[in-house]
Amino acid sequence: MIRAYRRLPLAVRAPALVAALMVLAGLVASQQVLAELARGQEARLRELVRLHVDGLSVALGPSVLRKDVWEVYDTLDRAGRAGDAQRMALTVVADSDDRILAASDPLRAPVDGHLRDLAGVAAALPVDAITLASDAPRVRVLAPLQYQGRNVGSILTELDVADLVAERRRAVRALLAFNGAVTLALAFVGYVAVRRMMRPVSVLARHMGTGGADPVPIPLAQLPGGDTEMAQLFRTYNGMTGAIRARAEAERRLSERERLVSLGRLSSSLAHEINNPLGGLLNAADTIRTYPDRPDIVRASVDLLLRGLNHMRDVAKAILDHNRLDRAGQALTPEDFDDLRLLISPEMQRLGQRPVWSVAVSRADLAGFPAAPVRQIALNLMLNASAAAGPGGHVGLSVTCPDGSLTLSVSDEGPGLPEAALARLVGAEGQSGGGVGLGIVRDLVRDLGGRIEHARQGRSTEIRVTLPAAPAGAAA
Amino acid sequence: MPAAIDRRSVLAGLAVCALPRAARSAGATFRLGLTPVFLDNDAIVIEQLRETFHVAMGRPIELVQRRTYQEVTALLLDGTVDAAWLCGYPYLQHRDALRLVGVPVWRGRPLYRSYLIAAPGDAAADLAGLEGGSHAFSDPDSNSGWLVTASDLARMGRTPEDFFGRTIFTYGHRNVVRAVASGLTRSGSVDGYVWEVLAAVEPDLAGATRVVRKSEWLGFPPVAIRKDRAEDPLIRRFAEVLGDLPETDHGRATLRLLDLDGFIAGTPALFDGIAARMRDVERLR
Repeated sequence: MIRAYRRLPLAVRAPALVAALMVLAGLVASQQVLAELARGQEARLRELVRLHVDGLSVALGPSVLRKDVWEVYDTLDRAGRAGDAQRMALTVVADSDDRILAASDPLRAPVDGHLRDLAGVAAALPVDAITLASDAPRVRVLAPLQYQGRNVGSILTELDVADLVAERRRAVRALLAFNGAVTLALAFVGYVAVRRMMRPVSVLARHMGTGGADPVPIPLAQLPGGDTEMAQLFRTYNGMTGAIRARAEAERRLSERERLVSLGRLSSSLAHEINNPLGGLLNAADTIRTYPDRPDIVRASVDLLLRGLNHMRDVAKAILDHNRLDRAGQALTPEDFDDLRLLISPEMQRLGQRPVWSVAVSRADLAGFPAAPVRQIALNLMLNASAAAGPGGHVGLSVTCPDGSLTLSVSDEGPGLPEAALARLVGAEGQSGGGVGLGIVRDLVRDLGGRIEHARQGRSTEIRVTLPAAPAGAAA
Repeated sequence: MPAAIDRRSVLAGLAVCALPRAARSAGATFRLGLTPVFLDNDAIVIEQLRETFHVAMGRPIELVQRRTYQEVTALLLDGTVDAAWLCGYPYLQHRDALRLVGVPVWRGRPLYRSYLIAAPGDAAADLAGLEGGSHAFSDPDSNSGWLVTASDLARMGRTPEDFFGRTIFTYGHRNVVRAVASGLTRSGSVDGYVWEVLAAVEPDLAGATRVVRKSEWLGFPPVAIRKDRAEDPLIRRFAEVLGDLPETDHGRATLRLLDLDGFIAGTPALFDGIAARMRDVERLR
């Protein structure tokens, strides 16, 4: 219950609390009224019984002393016909030995019977203790019968309080109806009023909740009037949304720059890759021109030319594949890693690095993963590792598919990732500085639902990307 | 309750055709003692009775009531009252000093009976069946309200005190009926005439009792005077008025209220039955 209440939004909880307090106040007020009514009724009843007993004591004293049964009965009978006496359902007069002298209803309390043997005598109250606490329609009162200053007997009176009990019941019903209606009305008004007061909190919570990475400022029209705490809160929030947007824009620009830098590096290494054989090819073309009539030399030069051109065709194809728009949505294949090797090797060769390449996966293992983002992730990590490893350094790629997931592990023997770069790779969004393309890697891995781990062992730095198995057909 | 309507209409009539005041207030006050032989607690009956004698005798009438037969008898004997409506039993107790001046005629005869009553659901078929229960008597000097039952018990060799579990005196025949009707006592001894009148005017009260046994017919409670004042003109006038009640409108109205036919002079022999019962009780003492 309390837990359920705590789960309610504040905008509901606060008005509900106000309503509950109103109901509580109504209950307390009703209780007070009822208690006062009961006190009044009891006081009235006590006064009535006191008068009844006192009057009977005066009238019956001599008769009780003489144990005159008839006189006692006659007095009780005549007293019972008085208008006020209708409340006395039964009056029993006993002598000092508790032997019954007479009763207003002799059938219920026979002459010479014992007072103690009457039903309900044990529960009879003294006059001053009369109470209507129980809802019983009859109350029994036992009072001493005093005459000339001494106790000569006792008077047991059974009061018919059914009307008082009924009156109280009516009062309870009326109070319940009236207080209930008023309390509910007040509770409703209180609920509505507090709800209105709390409405800005809901607006703020909605904006903060739905904004996510792109929070929307609250329109000025919805700002509460005046310079209340709520208005200040709204202005502060709007200021914060501006800051968040500015930061997101900066991030986007940084990311774009990273992409360009990455592209630039790749294209320069590819230019090398094309440029490097060009010298040999030009030499071969020169040789053919110089020795057009030496078939052996021409054949060898043409072979050289063909090999060089084939290589250049392969490189061009790899670049085209890497950037082709229609590759989007295609499944990853082992050939993609061959392409990657082709793309990265000019840069590594330039730096005198030797890749340690381990792609132990089958076509079927890779079928569930999309080609474009995985290639992008692997290429960026390799480029980073290559840059970190430095000339003659060691760079490794290991691709495995344990339990259906895909693990790309890129290692190098560089000095390790600077703090800022690491934060950019595995930290939250908005981290900046260090490492080229690491922001892109982080975003791509996040989009694929994977995770990035970083480990530094000895001189070796390993970055491990684990992508979960995609749902069947996701890559198609 | 036709009797009540009669009473009121008669009273209203009396108020309208009142006699000249001079005739009413002349002479010394005549004092009449009343025992609870009839509905003595009915204010209308008392007032009617007083008014009737006032009109007939032409002098103020004081009706003197006491709680017990004994007190009223004493008032008569010591001359405080000029005449008294007694019961046959006290009349016989003091027959040497008293003389009859009128005996009521009820249902054509100067006789009545004593009733033994109990609750309607009581199984008792006779006096013997009421043994051990509580019993309400009217007055220790009442024939129907004590002597009849006491003498019946005497004939059984018992006394009221040892036969009944408890006896009480209510000093009024109507009170006996009340005591039995309410359950205060199991049974009661009551004037049969009173019970019959109550059965007509207060059927709820009389209906809450049942007549277990009726006695033989006995002399109706008479009006008596002191023997030594028998020749007093006032007394003689009173006797005439008593005898002439059926002759006047007031008298007839009063008799109607009392459910009586009239008064006759009566003779002591009327009370022989009571005298016999007195002897039976005396014997046991």
